[in-house]
Amino acid sequence: MKKESKIYVILFTFIISFVFVFILALANELTKEKVKINEELFQRKAILSAMGIEFKNDEEAYKLFDEKITIEKINDIDIYESIVNNKKVYAVIFTGNGLWSTIRGVLAINSDLTRIVGVDFIAQSETPGLGGRIEETWFKEQFRFEKIKDGKIKLIIGGTGKGDFNHENGEIEAITGATRTSESVTTMLNKYLEILRNLLGGELK
Amino acid sequence: MSEYNKILKQNIWYNNPVFIQILGICSALAVTNNLTNTFIMTIAVSLVTAFSSLTVSIIKGLIPRKVRMIVQTLIIAFYVIIVDIVLRAYLPGISKALGPYVGLIITNCIIMGRAEGFAQSNGPIISFWDGFTSGLGYLAVLMVVAFFRELLGFGTLFGYRILPEGFMSWTIMLMAPSAFFMLAIFIWVAKSIMLRKEAK
Repeated sequence: MKKESKIYVILFTFIISFVFVFILALANELTKEKVKINEELFQRKAILSAMGIEFKNDEEAYKLFDEKITIEKINDIDIYESIVNNKKVYAVIFTGNGLWSTIRGVLAINSDLTRIVGVDFIAQSETPGLGGRIEETWFKEQFRFEKIKDGKIKLIIGGTGKGDFNHENGEIEAITGATRTSESVTTMLNKYLEILRNLLGGELK
Repeated sequence: MSEYNKILKQNIWYNNPVFIQILGICSALAVTNNLTNTFIMTIAVSLVTAFSSLTVSIIKGLIPRKVRMIVQTLIIAFYVIIVDIVLRAYLPGISKALGPYVGLIITNCIIMGRAEGFAQSNGPIISFWDGFTSGLGYLAVLMVVAFFRELLGFGTLFGYRILPEGFMSWTIMLMAPSAFFMLAIFIWVAKSIMLRKEAK
């Protein structure tokens, strides 16, 4: 068959696409389980750290999750519950739009819904080095035991750039150069605070 | 052996894909604000370039001229997805950090350039070497750019703090435009050295 003939071109393109796509599908199928376990692990680790439960490594995180956390479904939303330092803690997975992509994370809250216990992120694709810094410890630690004022968390733009660690004022600082992402995160959290209030039947304080 | 040496020198310095051929600039702007991500990204680019050059070279006799670009793209996409799958399954932390950039390796013109410019007309092993060293040339430049961007933007190197805590980090260094400046300075310096050598 001549190499430049139409039939050869069509046959060649068909066969080569088939072979490569077949190998890809195979590779995808073979690693599917592992990818799923990784994602599950990320989620478990995020829930644990949002709730303030410490763990040393991946295995311990996996085990602690099974031991300490119970899942309750209220109105089709999974509410994670645990007792940390003799206090009941609730957590919920939140999703919302960031600047570029969907942000998924965990919001943990105390039982009388007056304080955020912690926040952690599961998935985000914000600009690395700018919006991506929401995953940095200092940003997340701002939320640790933060008092909820008027049912909300307030975002301060143009602060010191180092974070607001006064946990009584209900305020957190935006990331310098990533105001939009910080705003999105705050909006998401406030929305989920309200959802949690409705689900758990708390009063506005 | 001398041929391999020559290719190495050409790809890393005399005919560097980034600062001589000005290829692969888009990713040079995007990923270079921290060393760890840059390193993994450029290693991935090197491997993808090497293996796609190898594959193109092996099957070059079978590819009809009319569709050769499409086939090259298919081969490159294939390796990029393989890299993505491997990262997601075995290095989930890094896969998370790189996010969409892994998929964007396919848009790197260096890979296509080597496949079309070298592998189409050379043997498999030397094509593999050419692809890999082109990737190294890319790696070298991006690492230098990333070094300065991370140092000045975060005050850290590979995530370890180098500059004192009180250092006011340069936010501009974290944004894509700063890579333009860094790259331009790099090209300036590299070209000056090159011209001085030629003059001698």
